[in-house]
Amino acid sequence: MPDTPGPLAPFRVIDLTNELGQLAGRMLADLGTEVIKLEPPGGDESRFIGPFRGDVVDPELSLHWWTFNSNKLSATLDLTSPRGQQLFNQLLSSADFLIETCPPDAAAALGLGVETIRASHPSLVHTSITPFGRDGPYAHWKATDLVGTAMGGLSSLCGAPGRPPIRPTASQAYTQASAQAVVGTLIAQYQRTKSGRGQHVDQSMQEAVTFTHDNAMPTWDIRRINNERPGNGRQIGGYKSGQYVFEAADGYVACLSYGGLFGLTARQTVDWLDSHGMAGDLTSDEWLAKLDATQGLLAPPSGADSEYLNAVLSDFCKRFTRAQLVAEAQQIRNGWGIVHTPKDLLANEHLRAREYWAEIEHEDAHVTYPGPWARLSETPLSVRHRAPRIGEHNFYVYGNLLGHSDDDIMALSAEGLI
Amino acid sequence: MTDAPDKVFDGIRVADFAWVGVGPLVSKYLADHGAEVIRIESSVRPEPLRRAPPFVNDEPGLDHSGYYADFNSSKQCVSLNLQHPDGVTIAKRLIAQCDIVTESFTPKAMRAWGMTYEDLCAVRPDLIMIEMPMYGLSGPWAMWQGYGHVLQAAAGISHLTAYPGEEPIGTGVAYTDFLVPHFAAAALIAALDHRQRTGQGQNIDFGQMEAAIHATETMVLDYTVNGREQQALGAGHPMHAIYGTYQCAPRSGEIGGDDDDRWIAITISNDAELTALGDLAGQPAWTSLDPAVVETELAAWVRTQQAEDLMRRLQAVGVPAGVVQTPEDLRSDPQLAHRGHFWMLDHPAMGRRAYDGPSFRLSETPGELTKAAPLLGADNERVYKDIVGLSDEEYIGHLVSGAFD
Repeated sequence: MPDTPGPLAPFRVIDLTNELGQLAGRMLADLGTEVIKLEPPGGDESRFIGPFRGDVVDPELSLHWWTFNSNKLSATLDLTSPRGQQLFNQLLSSADFLIETCPPDAAAALGLGVETIRASHPSLVHTSITPFGRDGPYAHWKATDLVGTAMGGLSSLCGAPGRPPIRPTASQAYTQASAQAVVGTLIAQYQRTKSGRGQHVDQSMQEAVTFTHDNAMPTWDIRRINNERPGNGRQIGGYKSGQYVFEAADGYVACLSYGGLFGLTARQTVDWLDSHGMAGDLTSDEWLAKLDATQGLLAPPSGADSEYLNAVLSDFCKRFTRAQLVAEAQQIRNGWGIVHTPKDLLANEHLRAREYWAEIEHEDAHVTYPGPWARLSETPLSVRHRAPRIGEHNFYVYGNLLGHSDDDIMALSAEGLI
Repeated sequence: MTDAPDKVFDGIRVADFAWVGVGPLVSKYLADHGAEVIRIESSVRPEPLRRAPPFVNDEPGLDHSGYYADFNSSKQCVSLNLQHPDGVTIAKRLIAQCDIVTESFTPKAMRAWGMTYEDLCAVRPDLIMIEMPMYGLSGPWAMWQGYGHVLQAAAGISHLTAYPGEEPIGTGVAYTDFLVPHFAAAALIAALDHRQRTGQGQNIDFGQMEAAIHATETMVLDYTVNGREQQALGAGHPMHAIYGTYQCAPRSGEIGGDDDDRWIAITISNDAELTALGDLAGQPAWTSLDPAVVETELAAWVRTQQAEDLMRRLQAVGVPAGVVQTPEDLRSDPQLAHRGHFWMLDHPAMGRRAYDGPSFRLSETPGELTKAAPLLGADNERVYKDIVGLSDEEYIGHLVSGAFD
């Protein structure tokens, strides 16, 4: 395999994750490691997660698979057989990391017990990503992404009052678990660089979601108030602010400045509205006094005042495009932003100027992917190649790495092991 | 004596200029695993979170914010006025003794102070510097500021976080502040590991938006490959018919009362789970009904059930289900308690408060929150004398001249 430029280029990862942890392997691959995704013969279950290219359900056309497995290699292996276990252990001996999402009660049977792996591979960093952690009262419980965002506390802060709690329609509990597992894994890696010894990293999805509460835990701890679902408002320390997303002439803008819309920059905001002749009554002494009083964040406008402010802003935003509004807001240090749709993102001038997007070659097309998530000056991350087909790298993995002959590999295949 | 290994980042010193959410949460990972993280702040332009509620006793004060405290466990803090004529010189003398510099201003700040990566390499050649502006160090939006509430919108996450067909309200939190620090920390620790092996430092340009886009799952590829703009589905999932949050009975039993806001997440991925759900609800026919009908009947049944009890009964028969837990619920959650997620730490001005610890457990070198958040300038004397190397006279001189304001 070619050398990669990333900071972790010398290292190899065995990736046994499902959708709960696939981003973790992807991030390690982006950092330059060689990631070998092990799939059961016939292909990984996540190859059947949609959407699919052209809506054709095919294990090689899942965009979910493409997104989370580009930069990885694929080898197939039947872990449930003794011979499969033997090959798995040979692979672990050649690897630096193992990341897996095996349910705790099934781990031992698949040779993934923490002590078993420690005994045979003391220098391996072994990372388990599970819904609730490897032990504890809920360890054997099942959880999907929504159950993760619910049990971790994020859903109680998403949605509108009196209506059902929601989640982002892109799995954040899985994302949080995977990304935080990478941090834990790399902390263990740094320790191994110093000591030569590996260890086990036990990542809980629920716990990964927990620290998305923003300020809700100290708010409960100090004020005994539960932050709530704010709908199209915001809240900080249990104090609620006014509306935050407004409709512009061509879409939506997100209008928070620190402490709510009329926080520290209230005067500048009023001047800005006034320069367009749209400040309404806000230039009156009475209103300016009220707005100055909100700067401490503890007494935001409420009731009829709040409704009036929202009405003034709504009228104002509808008159202008998102780009006009945000460019002018930024000039008065209001950190407004554009609510991007996917189409907007791909057309975004800033990301294009930074040459963010990565073009990856597939058999019959070039496909645009999100680019590297950090820019390291000496050891750059890279998005190098498309996700692998089922068992695409069996000859490399079992031949080049483990030293089996082509005939041996054909025999393993005939036995249904790979 | 024990033979426990040294802490992971023993001997690593960090000059932490970052503020608000993203930067402090990156250095928190280092501090909670043994690094000496020195926050550089100022009373002239205070770290904004020190001025953000909740405040202890509801009394605003730079050492009273629970918001700030939670993000800054295990750290030290000096005060330094970088606008003062001696401010930058002192900062550079400190950085010469540091392995890592973190910052999260818009790019003009470090340029104005003469503290770009190139400038700082002159005083510390193997430095690792991570810069974390909202939109990165270059490009037409580089000087734009923002907050996690806004960046979730710019990164496409808010587009996917809404009730179907309604305005893109996004999550109710400054979401990317609790997302991109993991990516930044991964890049930083990988760079530190590379330095440990090769001696080479480097600069990291971490544009928060570019990392946040990686949290949109298949949204980008569905557009670039299929030309389709994915849409928000409330709590729902495009591949599962039953995947939602359902309202339970209030604890008091009084529908419409103050506590009538208990919810449970229930998701069904296969026939076995639907069978188990139907059996538990006394509705074996659900397996053969239209999913929309099942949803209606399920919602009516759940409304009569207590959330925690229903969660346990559903999990017992193999149905993924979980209470929509509030902050109050999290503090008494038995699984989080088993893992020791919340650390109780004594703060000189705020008393004993709960702090979030890391969400992973390392078997040999677990994280440890060694102390509560620092008071502003708490470590001035030790840092400026012992690390920067100021004499007593120099220290007093700078103190009097306002360099440490």
